[in-house]
Amino acid sequence: MVQYKLTYFPVRGLGEMIRFIFHYSNTPFEDNRIGGDDWQKIKSTTPFGQMPVLEIDGKPLAQSFAITRYLARKHGLAGKDDWESAQLDAIADFGKDFSAELRPYFGVLMGRSEGNKDELYKTVFVPAIDKNIPILEKLLKDSGSGFFSKSGVSWVDFYVASFTETLEGMAPEVVSKYSEILKHKEKVYALPQLKKYLDSRPKTQF
Amino acid sequence: MVQYKLMYFPVRGLGEMARLILHYANVPYEDKHISFEEWPNMKTTTPFGQLPILEVDGKPLAQSFAIARFLARKHGLAGKDDWESAQLDAIADFMKDVATECRPYFMALMGRGEGDKDELYNTVFKTSMEKNMPVLEKLLKESGSGFFAKSGVSWVDFYIANFMETFEELGPSVMSAYKDLLKHKETVYALPQLKKYLESRPKTQF
Repeated sequence: MVQYKLTYFPVRGLGEMIRFIFHYSNTPFEDNRIGGDDWQKIKSTTPFGQMPVLEIDGKPLAQSFAITRYLARKHGLAGKDDWESAQLDAIADFGKDFSAELRPYFGVLMGRSEGNKDELYKTVFVPAIDKNIPILEKLLKDSGSGFFSKSGVSWVDFYVASFTETLEGMAPEVVSKYSEILKHKEKVYALPQLKKYLDSRPKTQF
Repeated sequence: MVQYKLMYFPVRGLGEMARLILHYANVPYEDKHISFEEWPNMKTTTPFGQLPILEVDGKPLAQSFAIARFLARKHGLAGKDDWESAQLDAIADFMKDVATECRPYFMALMGRGEGDKDELYNTVFKTSMEKNMPVLEKLLKESGSGFFAKSGVSWVDFYIANFMETFEELGPSVMSAYKDLLKHKETVYALPQLKKYLESRPKTQF
């Protein structure tokens, strides 16, 4: 049996969708949560000095989307064919662009860069939310399945649901009006295959 | 026969790897250039308000990596198996992280962002290159094939070669240190399947 070991910070972030795939598909894995000095010690041993890293029988695969897509393909969570897979890839990469747009604000919020947090909230955070969440909601509507692909749940639902959870937690006053994206998150989190994990996982801000 | 239409700005940017894939595979396509002037009018007709878009028999696929991966898989340019494909995905996404890191510099350079471009050249661009280019060179060395995958050329070679072409122009004094990456670019551009296109395509700064 293949040995899987996921190494990531003790947060949801870019690791949670990977954990979801393992739990959804009922695949055993080692959920290695590390940070601080423990991370610094092993950082240079990782392919790009970044986490998450997935070790498969000891061989490393880096980058959250590469890991997630690889596992998703193995477990029927990457669309029903290459065209649907590509559409899902596009939505996820759009999500990544959306995240990148929020970076200047998050950088200041987390004390990693300088700037005026309140100003960036107004000029960066809120406009990005108001520009991009409607696009995601339109995609959900076009799909009609309640998930991002017509054929059913995929890794991209896991990615977006976790992102929505984070944004809702940080700025409920902005996100609460986006009922479709919130409904999507609830639908993903109601999947029976995820129940045991969702009931037991640590609660984190992001 | 499948009708392909690639819509992108009249630059290399994030459209060039799709063009290189199609030329390498000798697949006919319409290479539609959208000018920066006409773009605002068509923006809302695209899935995410972004280019490039690939229309496949009239149906749109957005996001440069989704497009490249979709075409690459069809034409043997996405690694020899799922594991190699995943490793290639990881390298491409790592390079995308590098590009995101350098964004403040590029935005200032193009007069679209704040900050002093000369200062950002040193604090953002040079720092990122010095940290990240050696990682790519190490991957090339480990591959041993002259390309990023052991099994041969892939879409990720096209992506990175194109990037190097741009970066080399913008920062020759920084980039000249990365001889293996510059050699990689030459190896990709020497592929006979690309010759006719490379000789005839417009020369652009990025």
